[in-house]
Amino acid sequence: MDIVIGFLLVCGLLFFTGGSIGILRFPDFYSRLHPAGKLDTMGLLLSLLAMAVYVMMDFSIASFLTGLKILLIVVIVFVTSPTATHAIVDAGVRAGLKPWTKEGGGGV
Amino acid sequence: MKLIGMISIFWLFIVLVYGTSDFSAWGDPESPCNLHVSNYYIEHAMSDTSVPNIVTAILADYRGFDTMFETAVIFSAGIACFFLLRRPKYDAPEAVVFRHIQTGITLRIEKGGRLPKESDEFERIDTQWVPYDLVIQVTSRILVPFIQLFALYVVAHGHHSPGGGFQGGVIFGAAIILFAVSNTLRKTTHRVSEKRSAVLCAIGVLIYAGTGVCCLLAGGNFLDYSALSGLLGVDPVTARSHGIMMVEMGVGLAVTMVMIWIYYNLSSAGKQHEGL
Repeated sequence: MDIVIGFLLVCGLLFFTGGSIGILRFPDFYSRLHPAGKLDTMGLLLSLLAMAVYVMMDFSIASFLTGLKILLIVVIVFVTSPTATHAIVDAGVRAGLKPWTKEGGGGV
Repeated sequence: MKLIGMISIFWLFIVLVYGTSDFSAWGDPESPCNLHVSNYYIEHAMSDTSVPNIVTAILADYRGFDTMFETAVIFSAGIACFFLLRRPKYDAPEAVVFRHIQTGITLRIEKGGRLPKESDEFERIDTQWVPYDLVIQVTSRILVPFIQLFALYVVAHGHHSPGGGFQGGVIFGAAIILFAVSNTLRKTTHRVSEKRSAVLCAIGVLIYAGTGVCCLLAGGNFLDYSALSGLLGVDPVTARSHGIMMVEMGVGLAVTMVMIWIYYNLSSAGKQHEGL
């Protein structure tokens, strides 16, 4: 079981690392939101899953309830994080921010 | 008028500074609050009130008087926002925009024009900003009930875990504000009108103070919930726990309604016909 938890945690951290590098290195607002929205959600999902598995290792009702609460956090983050990213992108488009292109430049 | 205000605030400032000279030194181990009070709370909170969360017991029971006026302060913050921002009703908007739903034509009706009724044919839209986003609307529609449920849980579970009326009330208010952000302000004011929110937040404060008056009528001191034991039909310790629950509900109601009341006034600059 420890192997499963370790595997999930390492995978989650890998996604977080990719997300952080992407936020720092991508050229403009929209492309930076892409790792922020996708990779962070995935990293959080995997690492919280690892925590839920860790908590639920000893089989009792209390630890099962704690694991269930962690899984509820996963569900809520899974729904809200992409929606928030969507809303930010939408606001950017409405405010008239041009996306970056290889030839034309633009972006921030 | 401004001068009188300045002078009175200055005097109040001097009185407050004079009052601080009577305080004990910061972190003084000999000061009364560090000698008896904290130890008493820690040792007796469970046997006095049967509430495991000492913070809740102190907040709503031992220092109930303080918390009652905190609730009153929140209520007066809502009223202050109302008086500062709210525009009178006759201050009608410059123009109102409607959309004919079948054809998609928008109608701009100047001040004084005849307004169509909102129906299947005509839909009122905002002049500046048309918040129509299916993704956000659907997500908020899924989330808002769960956030409200969680808020009720936080209020009800304040005896055992961090939480209580203030936190739960803010979460509940945030759920309604999320609804208002993802839909339109008008749609929210149709569901919870400004008048209703104002009346309900006054009722929240009234529940708190009324619990105290009930204690008085039952023969105890103001906000001494153990006097309610006869009324509730339980022993005095459980009565204190129930009394905490009652005032927490009052606080939750007041905070929720003040949150959305302030939001209504702030987001629409007091006009409340269209906003964020």
